[in-house]
Amino acid sequence: MERTVLIIEDEKLIIVSTQMVLEAAGFQVESATNGEDGIAKARTQSPDIILLDIMMPGIDGWETLTRLKRDPQTANIPVIIFTAREHARGHQKSTDMGAADYFRKPFEPDELIDLVERHVVLRT
Amino acid sequence: MTLISNFMDGIVFIDCDGNVMLMNPAAEDLLGVKAFVASGYPVSALQGRAELMTVLIADRQRLVEGRDVTQTVEVLHSEHDLLYIKCLTSRVTDYNGQSAGSLTVLKDVTADFKTDQLKNQYLSIVAHELRTPLTGIKTYSTLMAKGSLGPLSEKQAFVIDSIREQSVRLEQQIDKLINLGHLDSDDFGQDREEFSIAEFMAGLLAPFEQPARDRQIALTCQCECAGTEILCADRADLRRTCQALIENAVKFTSDGGVVDVRILRARNGGLRFAVKDSGIGIDPRYHRRIFEKFFQVEDPLTRHHGGAGLGLFVAKGIVEAHGSRIEVSSRLGQGADFSFALPHQSTVKSVASGKTEGMKR
Repeated sequence: MERTVLIIEDEKLIIVSTQMVLEAAGFQVESATNGEDGIAKARTQSPDIILLDIMMPGIDGWETLTRLKRDPQTANIPVIIFTAREHARGHQKSTDMGAADYFRKPFEPDELIDLVERHVVLRT
Repeated sequence: MTLISNFMDGIVFIDCDGNVMLMNPAAEDLLGVKAFVASGYPVSALQGRAELMTVLIADRQRLVEGRDVTQTVEVLHSEHDLLYIKCLTSRVTDYNGQSAGSLTVLKDVTADFKTDQLKNQYLSIVAHELRTPLTGIKTYSTLMAKGSLGPLSEKQAFVIDSIREQSVRLEQQIDKLINLGHLDSDDFGQDREEFSIAEFMAGLLAPFEQPARDRQIALTCQCECAGTEILCADRADLRRTCQALIENAVKFTSDGGVVDVRILRARNGGLRFAVKDSGIGIDPRYHRRIFEKFFQVEDPLTRHHGGAGLGLFVAKGIVEAHGSRIEVSSRLGQGADFSFALPHQSTVKSVASGKTEGMKR
């Protein structure tokens, strides 16, 4: 069965390049360019994992994460925070808020694949 | 007396019994206490701006332990006016060298503080703006270099490898900028752990070996101790401190020079870390200023050496968080010698159980 990743990210460049990395590793990739669309896609498509940016127009990544975790339909989907900005104790904050992991951009493609694989396996 | 009254900084003199003996108008304004009310009364009994009154009382107690005390506090001066006041308290002695009390100077550093905050915010935004396009460059070049997008000719592979390498280098530079720019002294030296000198020294010089070789600089390391001495410190921070000193030494030493890293026995029974170079040296009038955030001896526009002016600021903060201080000995054209001492825990403990840690990216 094909495993799907949902990328919630406002930068097209990041979506396209990350998608290429994940597709090369055999994942199917869906994307949303803002938090609200992301939540809607998470509900309808039940991806295996979500990559979530923090700095987005509209509701930011933290708020998106809160709503995903509050909704029983999406609460069990592992979310990896995917950020280019330093956040004070960002890793701790992410896990406290229910994220599965915290990942910095720019990244090593192999590390991203390992991380996503690990969390998808953990879930099944 | 007129001089003190007209002084722009607040000045408060408290005698040995804790009574306020002198207070100028600037201090009255900042503390929210009138001099005629305070004069002759114990500082602990005065009703003034709580944040600063607490500092006056606490600093006096800390003075008993020795050194002068400096701290910066946030003060709500009026409803919409948040001030940052730097309080410097020093001991005052009489003609016979006997303690006469303490003198506190209250300096309004709000403007400096705000500039600093702006610089940090700016750095953080710049870093984000740079990292986003960099993510694209790095990801695409890695994919291509791995052949995921089809086979490459030898020349293409060479170019792609180079693009990838440069993107990693750029990323490291941005990380450096943001990590250092973000730091406040409160963040230094927080993760204390025990480790041996040998563990600490492993790989410490590695990042500088190639750059030193490229410029025929003799980079040497001497250890006067057994290596089994245990330190209790923030290992990552201490590493950063030593590496900042070594990086500077290599940077400011001309081709063919010498950089010597030494671990010596300190007088207090601890260990002294010293980095000595044969570089361009530092004019003694800058010996204090080089530890300031963003300070550079050279004009940033015409200088020959790179850097953000944060290495020594961070190093100083870390060493101070460990209860020590960095000493500098240098003259223009005669190299520089930076060192600091740390107490060590015990030499008895075995090192064999030390856990191995992977290098962080």
